[in-house]
Amino acid sequence: MPNFKLDDREIPFEPGETIIRAAQKAGIDIPHYCWHAGLSVAANCRMCLVELMPPPGRPAMLLDVLAWDKIKQEYLPQKKPKLVPSCQQAAADGMVVKSQTSEHVDVARASVQELLLLNHPVDCPICDQAGECRLQDYWLEHQGTKKRMRDEPVHKPKAVVFGPTIVYDAERCIVCTRCVRVSDELAKDPVLSVRERGNLNEIVVAPGRQLDHPYTLMTEYVCPVGALTSIDFRFKARVWFLRSRRTVCVGCATGCNSFSDFDPRDQKVYRYRPRENLAVNKFWMCDDGMLDYRRIHEGRVLEARVAGRPATVAAALATAAQLLVAAGPASTAVVLSAEHSNEDNFALLSLAKSLGFSDIYQSGRPAGQGDDILRHPDKNPNSAGVAALGKASGLKSFVELVEAIRAGKASTVIALGSATPTGSGAAALAEVRSLIAIATHEGAVVDRASVVLPASSWAEADGTFVNAKGMSQESERAIHPHGSSQPAFRLISELAALLGKPLGWKKLTELRAAMAPAAPRSVAPDSASLGAE
Amino acid sequence: MKNETVALGPNQVVGAPVPRPQRSASVQTYIPEIAKGLGITMKHFFQNTKEMAFGQRNDPVLEGIEDGINCISYPEQKRPYPARFRGVHRLTQREDGAPRCVACLCCSTACPAQCIHIEAGEYPEGDPRRGYERFPKRFVIDELRCIFCGFCVEACPVDAIRMDTGVHAAPYDSREQFIFEKDILMGFPGRDGSRLTGNSRHEPGEGGHPGVDRDKH
Repeated sequence: MPNFKLDDREIPFEPGETIIRAAQKAGIDIPHYCWHAGLSVAANCRMCLVELMPPPGRPAMLLDVLAWDKIKQEYLPQKKPKLVPSCQQAAADGMVVKSQTSEHVDVARASVQELLLLNHPVDCPICDQAGECRLQDYWLEHQGTKKRMRDEPVHKPKAVVFGPTIVYDAERCIVCTRCVRVSDELAKDPVLSVRERGNLNEIVVAPGRQLDHPYTLMTEYVCPVGALTSIDFRFKARVWFLRSRRTVCVGCATGCNSFSDFDPRDQKVYRYRPRENLAVNKFWMCDDGMLDYRRIHEGRVLEARVAGRPATVAAALATAAQLLVAAGPASTAVVLSAEHSNEDNFALLSLAKSLGFSDIYQSGRPAGQGDDILRHPDKNPNSAGVAALGKASGLKSFVELVEAIRAGKASTVIALGSATPTGSGAAALAEVRSLIAIATHEGAVVDRASVVLPASSWAEADGTFVNAKGMSQESERAIHPHGSSQPAFRLISELAALLGKPLGWKKLTELRAAMAPAAPRSVAPDSASLGAE
Repeated sequence: MKNETVALGPNQVVGAPVPRPQRSASVQTYIPEIAKGLGITMKHFFQNTKEMAFGQRNDPVLEGIEDGINCISYPEQKRPYPARFRGVHRLTQREDGAPRCVACLCCSTACPAQCIHIEAGEYPEGDPRRGYERFPKRFVIDELRCIFCGFCVEACPVDAIRMDTGVHAAPYDSREQFIFEKDILMGFPGRDGSRLTGNSRHEPGEGGHPGVDRDKH
């Protein structure tokens, strides 16, 4: 692999790669605003300027400039090397690049910072970006001086509603055009553009349109300053209170890698952020996925129920055990759920095997809208995982379950998951004599259940999800289980112990070891997250 | 002679001899000492009674400095607190009575006792402050949890929270009464009687603020 030298380090690069991307892969963050690894190069912020040393034996390209001399108190002619934007300059073998070690680069970055902050309202206390704002970070790193301009800054529109998800503040905007490029290149809906010139320019939505494509929140995500804010997250939390866990989005079968940002004090998830994984979602997530975190706190089943009345989990487990003993294997159906992780489904499958239940069915959320960018029509995160787990047990579809219920072959059903793929399926569940639901959310299944066991959502338990491409991805637990909910695999393990057929594992690691032969893991390449964008 | 040590008693203890108290009848009966002590009490009693009767009571602070009577009748009388005493919090107001607070959560970030809870709200569309400010929908301080360190006052960027009320949290009889909501906090005046903020920043729509000048160009 060819190399170039950045300051004191040799950086390997693939032919055609730019200096900034190769450096980023090597773990060096060259300061930048407008460049994003997933977008085209605009090179308009001029923050990533670096000094290219001339080839050996050749003179440096020097520009004549006037530099302020503090002692003589006047401008004096000076020579300065021509700096190049590292986001646009392709790396070449043997190239020598100076970034932090060049005094000219230092001056250039400080000047760019000063220019960008000239008309910037210093309203960090009320700005949602504060704490993860590049203007703040680079001011500390590269500028550190007070504002010299005494004039009133240029005032522009504030809190402009761009669409159902985004609010825009033109005064904070540095017009890096990242949001414009996200709309053009990711969402293929060029609805944003730049108006006016110089210090008057601002981002506008096309006349007669709203910013309402399915990837609007990515414009907010790429915004390096607080110009674009998400209406959903706006003023909800300060980012320095939030902690992150590496999770997988459960909104559809794509399985986008994400960070769940939660407040450890109130154990609440406040937002998702995309996590870079070039094999799955690259740098992005869709709006549906980004807002899917709300389901962690909305419509949840938090207490156990027996015959529609609140009960303790222990009482519900005892009732469920009685129902299962009374039913016998012939008339019992076991329903796995593509909403739940491999761990939960494997636990239920193990219980079914140890009790001799052989009728295994698959349930999940109904299919929805998809596109060829990220969104998958299958709205379940683990359809492939359930299919792989249940293959040996003759996994049957939900339609067959409805037929079995109608035919009176399944009078007792133990079902994982909160949703059914079809509305008629939900109606059929009403005909089941005893329905044991292990569910996270209210819905068709819980409404018709004789016994409801409250299961933890994906944010409250570790889990493995297999996406549509067959890649197995682990999602970390972010918050403690809400209410008296427990991870579904733990509830099932307790149920098995009550029935006198312990499943042989207690901890998650033991469960995963037991599961390994049944669900061979083709782990998705989880590229180390480069830069916390 | 100076460093001479003398062994005393049957055990030959080395040390300086302690003078024995006078075991006279007056000492052993305690009566003169009791009379002396009661005399001091009666002196103060008559002096206090005289001062109360004739309204000659001195300023309690000056009294504390001088010799003599140091009693005040708390809680009817209170010693004035020093000028920079940190009392219960108050939220300052703008001229129109709205809270100056912009719900930035700097105070709750700085708070080492985590006793401040704020929910931020946004001004509706059309309000001149929309985009420039946000406001606290809820602002709650748990005065029982507060350690009165004053960090919140230091952290506030807009002079919205102060501890210059000059009163300490009163002893209530239940925990809930120490949870001060926004309306209570905004109700306290400062020691100078004012509820206004000292923050001189001009507001959108007020004189001195140029407003949006995009349409001028």
